[in-house]
Amino acid sequence: MKVKAKLKKGNVVVKILAKSPMAGKEEAEKKKIKVEFITHMTAKVNGKIVWEASTGPFLSKNPYMQFAFNAEKAGAKKGDKVEVDWVDSNGKTAKKSKKIK
Amino acid sequence: MQRRKFLSLGAVAAAASVLPGSLSATDFRKTAPSAWKAAGSAEAIKALYGDAKMIEGKIKIKAPKLAENGGAVPIGMKSKVEVESVALFQDANPRSAVVVFELGESGVFDLKTKIKMRKTANVTVVAKGRDGKLYSAVQKVEVSIGGCGG
Repeated sequence: MKVKAKLKKGNVVVKILAKSPMAGKEEAEKKKIKVEFITHMTAKVNGKIVWEASTGPFLSKNPYMQFAFNAEKAGAKKGDKVEVDWVDSNGKTAKKSKKIK
Repeated sequence: MQRRKFLSLGAVAAAASVLPGSLSATDFRKTAPSAWKAAGSAEAIKALYGDAKMIEGKIKIKAPKLAENGGAVPIGMKSKVEVESVALFQDANPRSAVVVFELGESGVFDLKTKIKMRKTANVTVVAKGRDGKLYSAVQKVEVSIGGCGG
């Protein structure tokens, strides 16, 4: 997973490139692979949740996510860490944190 | 009077202790499972947000009119409306719901992601504002090569 976080004009823009085949039931059958897709992603700043996504298998493979939040309202500044984690349909989890630039 | 006060305090405390749990990490796959099984957008939206009237024209969808690769169609969603959740639906795959975003109080409604579309279809974005109203927008995306056969 790749995470980028950048402070720009008062907003922190976060870009996430997750790693998952995002294969649902039909796709897994066709490609003869197991069902595997991310079901829930969370982004936190200083322990507070700023963004969440409940996801299904119709996001693209290795899904890309971009969102933004107001730095002042979230009490975030340059150098603070954005923590991203997710869980997939098999219960596998991943985690990554990145400093806000 | 004392007793009544005590009881109401108890009720408030109970509500407060329940709230943080529901505000942090809501998994819509668990709270609204039927929305994820619905084949059509209308059905999925109803399962997730109910029957309330939608306000149109406030959300901008940024998507290609013609997507060459149906395996990764970039979809951008943007609005000045302050929202607590944003859901994305399409009619190109076996089931309609793709993703439900939730924004914290500091959240800015400017989201981007990439989705699979195996054929030409409409993409629908529905957002629930902090004012409790529902907002929606629809855009048709033409797909020349279907993605992934999902």
